[in-house]
Amino acid sequence: MHLGMVIDLKRCVGCQACTIACKSENGTPPEVLFTKVLEQVAGEYPIVKKKFIPVLCNHCEDAPCVRVCPTGATTKREDGIVLVDHKKCIGCRACYVACPYKNRIFLKRGSLKNGYFGKQLTPFEKVKYPKWQEGVVLKCTFCVERVDQGLDPSCVQTCPADARIFGDLSDPESKVSRLIRQRGGFQPLSEDNTEPSVYYIE
Amino acid sequence: MAKTMPLVGKEFVSGFRLQTEWATLIAAAFFFGKIGSGLFIMSLFTHSWVGALVGLLIVLIGKGGAHLLYLGRPERFWRGLTKPGTSWVARGFWAMMIMMVSGTLFLIFPAGSTASSVFAVIAGLSAFVVAIYDGFLMNSSPSIPLWNTAMMPVLCLFYSLLGGTTLTLFLIEFGFTQVAIETVFLSNMELVLLLTNLIIMGLYLLSMTNATAAAKESLRLLVRGSFALPFYVLALGIGLVFTLLMSYFVGTHGGAGVVGLITAADLVGHYFLFYLLLRVGVYKPVLGQLTM
Repeated sequence: MHLGMVIDLKRCVGCQACTIACKSENGTPPEVLFTKVLEQVAGEYPIVKKKFIPVLCNHCEDAPCVRVCPTGATTKREDGIVLVDHKKCIGCRACYVACPYKNRIFLKRGSLKNGYFGKQLTPFEKVKYPKWQEGVVLKCTFCVERVDQGLDPSCVQTCPADARIFGDLSDPESKVSRLIRQRGGFQPLSEDNTEPSVYYIE
Repeated sequence: MAKTMPLVGKEFVSGFRLQTEWATLIAAAFFFGKIGSGLFIMSLFTHSWVGALVGLLIVLIGKGGAHLLYLGRPERFWRGLTKPGTSWVARGFWAMMIMMVSGTLFLIFPAGSTASSVFAVIAGLSAFVVAIYDGFLMNSSPSIPLWNTAMMPVLCLFYSLLGGTTLTLFLIEFGFTQVAIETVFLSNMELVLLLTNLIIMGLYLLSMTNATAAAKESLRLLVRGSFALPFYVLALGIGLVFTLLMSYFVGTHGGAGVVGLITAADLVGHYFLFYLLLRVGVYKPVLGQLTM
């Protein structure tokens, strides 16, 4: 099995619902976003169009972050999901720098003291924050706890336009494989040979 | 692509993004690693016990300290030794550890003894790795085209040798050590290394003019953008041109004061060059310029 995602750029409306769903699911501290939607203006004045590009960890097959990690904290599961073991991470940020997509986040010291609403944590933050550690690198996990239960990642389930599709890339009959085949799915920065598990279709 | 894609910060806009994580402390660690190992290597050739000791201390305290200050979880630093098979951070850490242990043993055993010679070879080889691994570490990031070039380890090696030679001359002129070779030879070697570094620097920047859009954006920031002033004044002007002119026209004949000035200028230029190369690292836009 090789889990991956297809993002349909024609469907994305830039509502950032995936961004919020991710934050809600993972309970990440302020300034930590595992996924977000970038804007880009395509074309040239006066014929222009605003496009939206959802970005997240690409869970690359040949992930530079796995290669450069000096501690083995970043590993890849058999199903292709790249994870960070926070107990092993020393916070050297070699992975952060090596990621061509800049989709890793370093959790600075003191980040967990204050929540979104001042010095006191909300009950939600009190429940969610204990799983994070300061001084280590974080990233999208494809909502591994949900995936292990047979569910889709939170961003996929939330997307109101069905712009994100999750599935098994190794199965030629899966929806993701068919979309890539039929609509010419392409990988971000394919020239870097990292073999991302996230594909985009236009 | 470079003309149309903007350089963006934290905003949710697609474009070139600056590398922000490796800056002051990592530049300091690279700097101390290079000058310390360079001094150690030069001390092996000049038979300077004091130089070797100072080189080891610079690497241990300067490089080791900067790395520890930078780490998010410094108490787990030992885990950084785990994966030398694939990680240049781990390889550098191993090289530094081996250099420290074998270098200390080299200093403890009597000069000329078999043990001293064996440890000198091991320490010298590991110091060589410490001097160049920063270049391989930066080179191993496909994400930042400015660094992703084979010129990087070469640049590190020659800057390390230059730093080592300059510091050796400084130690001699200020009476901290005596060496087995002529000071004139070291002075000439410094001149050659300064010229070599100037040429390598020029070739490196020239190679970036024909590289990818992100590399060109980095180059633009370095030579025409917000980092141009410190680059021309500190890295090039003081670090290479002033040092070269002072070394050529005055050199060691000017006495300890001039050598001190040359050393300070060289070290300032060395630090700022690598600091600026780290700061102008630019990531490529995720999908490039989309069409209508």
